[in-house]
Amino acid sequence: MDLLPLLLYVVAGAAYAVYFARRSARVGRLATASLAAAALIHTFVVGMRTVEVGYVPFVGTAAAISAFVWLLAVAYLYTEVTTDERAMGVFIVPLLVVLQAVSALSDGSIEPTPVLDSPWFFFHVSSLLFAYAAFALACVVGITYVLLFRELKSKRLGFFSARLPSLQVLDAMNGRAVGVGWLFLTAGLAVGAVWLYQLQPDTADPRVRAMSFFDPKIFVVLLSWLVYSFELYARRSIGWSGKRAAWLSAFGFSIVLLNLVPIGYFLTDSHNF
Amino acid sequence: MDLLLLGVSHHTAPVDLRERVDFTKRGVIEALRELATGPAPTEAVVLTTCNRAEIYVACEDAVSMRADLARFMSRFHDVPAPDLAPHLYAHHDADVARHLFRVAAGLDSLVVGEPQIFGQVKEAFSTASAQRRTGALLNRLFTRSFSVGKRVRAETGLGEGAVSVSYAAISLARKIFRTLKDRAVLVVGAGEMAELTATHLRSQQVRRIAVTSRTLARAAALARKVDGTAVDWTSIDDELLTADVVVTATGAATPIITATTINRVMRARRNRPLFIIDIGLPRDVEAGAGELEQVFLYNIDDLRAMISENLARRREQTTQAETMVSEEVAEFVAWLRTRGTIPTVVALRRRFEAVRQAELTRLAPKLNGLSPEARARIDEITRLLIQKLLLTPTERLKSAADEAMAAQFAEAVTQLFDLRDDPHADTPDSVPDTSEGSPSPSTSKTPVTS
Repeated sequence: MDLLPLLLYVVAGAAYAVYFARRSARVGRLATASLAAAALIHTFVVGMRTVEVGYVPFVGTAAAISAFVWLLAVAYLYTEVTTDERAMGVFIVPLLVVLQAVSALSDGSIEPTPVLDSPWFFFHVSSLLFAYAAFALACVVGITYVLLFRELKSKRLGFFSARLPSLQVLDAMNGRAVGVGWLFLTAGLAVGAVWLYQLQPDTADPRVRAMSFFDPKIFVVLLSWLVYSFELYARRSIGWSGKRAAWLSAFGFSIVLLNLVPIGYFLTDSHNF
Repeated sequence: MDLLLLGVSHHTAPVDLRERVDFTKRGVIEALRELATGPAPTEAVVLTTCNRAEIYVACEDAVSMRADLARFMSRFHDVPAPDLAPHLYAHHDADVARHLFRVAAGLDSLVVGEPQIFGQVKEAFSTASAQRRTGALLNRLFTRSFSVGKRVRAETGLGEGAVSVSYAAISLARKIFRTLKDRAVLVVGAGEMAELTATHLRSQQVRRIAVTSRTLARAAALARKVDGTAVDWTSIDDELLTADVVVTATGAATPIITATTINRVMRARRNRPLFIIDIGLPRDVEAGAGELEQVFLYNIDDLRAMISENLARRREQTTQAETMVSEEVAEFVAWLRTRGTIPTVVALRRRFEAVRQAELTRLAPKLNGLSPEARARIDEITRLLIQKLLLTPTERLKSAADEAMAAQFAEAVTQLFDLRDDPHADTPDSVPDTSEGSPSPSTSKTPVTS
């Protein structure tokens, strides 16, 4: 069921690439339209899953990644419509394609888990996924910042300077995305901690009993929280904006991705549903 | 109706002659008024820029109009005809479209792809339009030229990249800061280059321009010109703390701003980006300063290299732009051709309608016995019948492959239906409509068998 959105994400990705290379307004509109169509179909898929299993389909790494892709697509579309800036699509959409492919090609069967039948679950997972989507945007904006920065520094203007907004705009977008992401990450972690505190004394689920700071998934997400906290602090207090902030947000997101794909699939024992 | 263009431009005339035929001196409106009462009573547009002076008209006889317009130009600008004649060029119909489309796209400009000309063409048209000096032909011609200009700019890189030092500096600044509004500028030096760049920056509505020079009086003079503030030479370091853009253009033999100074300043600025444009020769800022992280240092050679690269890139784009122009010209010519067949189409429809009316009148005594609904029905059926019969011939006439074919078709239809004596036939600007008009006297004689 995840294949149709994947196909549309591929089409959108190709259209964004052609738009970026040729800058034809018509192709740009086509790119936006196909991404919007992909997000819409994806919404239906997520909605149907919800009806099927009775709660939001965040259970299982494949479903969580798919939900993340959906959130990121919606968040990006919102950014594009509000800023009228389409150049970023060529960097975001390939990420959607890869993650959606990972999700669509893996085993999507869902076993009902009684412990997740709680309102905490929805708040915990949705705020974390939203935070990840914001960090993904920050990472992409950071990469484009570095690309434009290099062109301006090497004094060989051309490809990127003709297509990207100014360094100041990219830096501000990065700061805002990291700020929003950090808030949701903090909220998601806090909700998770409180929920765990409530559950642990009398749960029968061995996975919940085994949860601690040293579970890879929890450890790595705390690491990413530290990275983003440092980025926000450094931006405000020691003038680490621009290129350094861009690198930090790329580094932070690589940790997030680590959590989402390899750890989610292979490494975690306790925090795996 | 034909299209005709007569003009001079930087391709055909030296600057002193171009200055003498500049329409802005006496005013474009005055020129339009004199054209209306003189050689071009129907439609005219006057396009005038520092590189061209052109008159676009719609006329019946292109040959005599060309001579009339040449005389008009010479009289209006008070330039003897023999001085003007060798520099004039004239175009007719499709070539007028090609010329104007190339002009609007920036292909005919001195600096290929420069953007101002597009606005100038628009202004020329809106001035003429406001004076009610444009009609079906020039309206179509100019509105098409706007979409050609837009299309070329959107789909090719023809207008991209700065091609002057000041503009290059500003476009660079816009890639670092989103806008120059609310930015502080420091100008070091008060010479000609400093003034030119400062004036350009002023036009970007910067928040503050501070000017400094070894002689404060010169700094003050430039500050007055660009609405800035003169500051003391010794306070350069303080100014560097607040400035976002620094322009240096002094004649100093050794660098006046060292890398060490900039390094110290950047730490105090907490790495806020600093854009330095060093157009002094020899250089005013030590090259090492450009290696600091948030310092963007461009010297005159860097800017010139950018410009020549941009010019080369623009030249590469011209082929693609020319192809677009050709496509648009073909479309315009097709439209022109359909216009040529409109009188025939109108006459044919009038003829058929007249026959219908004549028949209805002839049958009136018999029809009077019917109910009003039945009579309306008969009216409607006969009208639809004519519309359907004429649909294919009308389309064929309008879509004739070339001008000769269109003329042959029109002639054949005129002969076959004896349209030549129709007194209302020659109204090219009226829209053919089967429901209009009353029977003309000539048609009542048409033999009809019932």
